[in-house]
Amino acid sequence: MSGKGIRLTGTALAVLGLVGIVAVYWLSFFWVSTEVNQGIAQRIFYVHVPAAWTSFLAFGMAAFTSGMYLWLRDERLDRAAVAAAEGGMIFATIMLTTGPLWGKIAWGTYWTWEPRLTFTLLLWFIFLGYFMVRNSTENPEKGKRFAAVVAIIGALDIPFIHLSVVWFRSLHPEPIVLKPDQPSLPGDMLTLLLTSLVVFTTLFLGLFLLRYALETLRAGQQARTREATA
Amino acid sequence: MSAYLGQIRAIVWKDLLLELRTRERVVAMGAFAVLAAVLFNYSIDRTVVRPQDVGAGLIWMTIVFGGLLGVGRTFHLEAEDGALQGVLMSPVPKDAVFLGKTLSNFVLLYAVSLLVVAVFMLFFGMELGASPTMLGLALALGALGFVALGTLFAAVSSGTRMGETLLPILLFPLLVPMIVFGAGATGRLLSGRPVSEVAGDIRMLAAFALMAVAAGAVLFRFVVED
Repeated sequence: MSGKGIRLTGTALAVLGLVGIVAVYWLSFFWVSTEVNQGIAQRIFYVHVPAAWTSFLAFGMAAFTSGMYLWLRDERLDRAAVAAAEGGMIFATIMLTTGPLWGKIAWGTYWTWEPRLTFTLLLWFIFLGYFMVRNSTENPEKGKRFAAVVAIIGALDIPFIHLSVVWFRSLHPEPIVLKPDQPSLPGDMLTLLLTSLVVFTTLFLGLFLLRYALETLRAGQQARTREATA
Repeated sequence: MSAYLGQIRAIVWKDLLLELRTRERVVAMGAFAVLAAVLFNYSIDRTVVRPQDVGAGLIWMTIVFGGLLGVGRTFHLEAEDGALQGVLMSPVPKDAVFLGKTLSNFVLLYAVSLLVVAVFMLFFGMELGASPTMLGLALALGALGFVALGTLFAAVSSGTRMGETLLPILLFPLLVPMIVFGAGATGRLLSGRPVSEVAGDIRMLAAFALMAVAAGAVLFRFVVED
């Protein structure tokens, strides 16, 4: 796809995602039925769960493209990694703010050392390190390599972090969609959740493509500056 | 294979000899460990909590912070006079350099870990518990995992403008498994629980150390290339 094609597709997906978010908000406030035990606080679920899913998708993409970058040394893979990692940070931040808001009402506390919450917090910090390493080298090529190493080690450490934080007793609601038997979520709630998943993923892909296109433009600009000064 | 082991041994020997002559890092780490234990003593109100109850956690935190002090300077001395360039340009594979550096760091940190445990026993009257061998093994596996990730990220952070300031930010999120399993096993062993209770933690520490050493050996070449 050409640079212009990527920008247009990115804009279209991002606009579609933003319109979708408005629809998800409207549906979750006025259409979906209220959960019996948790009351209206449960409606934050339609933002929280899709944000969590999108951030894991984004961080997974960032780790994968980082590994491929070290192998193939294609600049496009590095641009994809940084675009995905930034998207992951945004959605992980959404997940980390909506989670405690709901937790205060449902669990009676903003923060608890609950495995999935802790896990996302640590992911957030691993990718904070990713951006700090990237931006603090004199030579940008070195920064890209260092950042890729951080992302790969992070990905390898994730199973261990997951196992270790689960070691503590979990307060988190158990899976209600992806489990061996039928989903136990009532019909309209499941419909809205799946709609919201699609919307969040679309928004992420739009932002990802726009961010990727921006990195490409920036690289071209830098190359031109170097030529002009040489 | 024996040539490869010889190369690793040469790196380890060079680093340990350097440390034996300067005694920079091991003295700093040792002094840090004792002073940290002194500060911990005054930070605990003995009428509220018994030092034994929080001892295992404090031992591991002291090892982590003391280790950071030593591991962060792995490449410092060599980078200063350009000797690191020489080591990297020698016909030794990069992973042998990494394994050598990791092993010499491990020797230093393990010595400091044993010192930390001895100091805590002395200052807080803690007992060695049911199995000193298992305690020694838990400390060894934890220290190995720590120095493997620490050596890799010391190479990363010494190549950035921020230097050692960056090291804890990169390292701490990754060390959660080591702390959970290491401090968990240590706490149970120190309070005299049977060895069978900590077998799972020890296995996880071993798996973590193996992952850290293997990943570091593979990725080190990408950090030091050019």
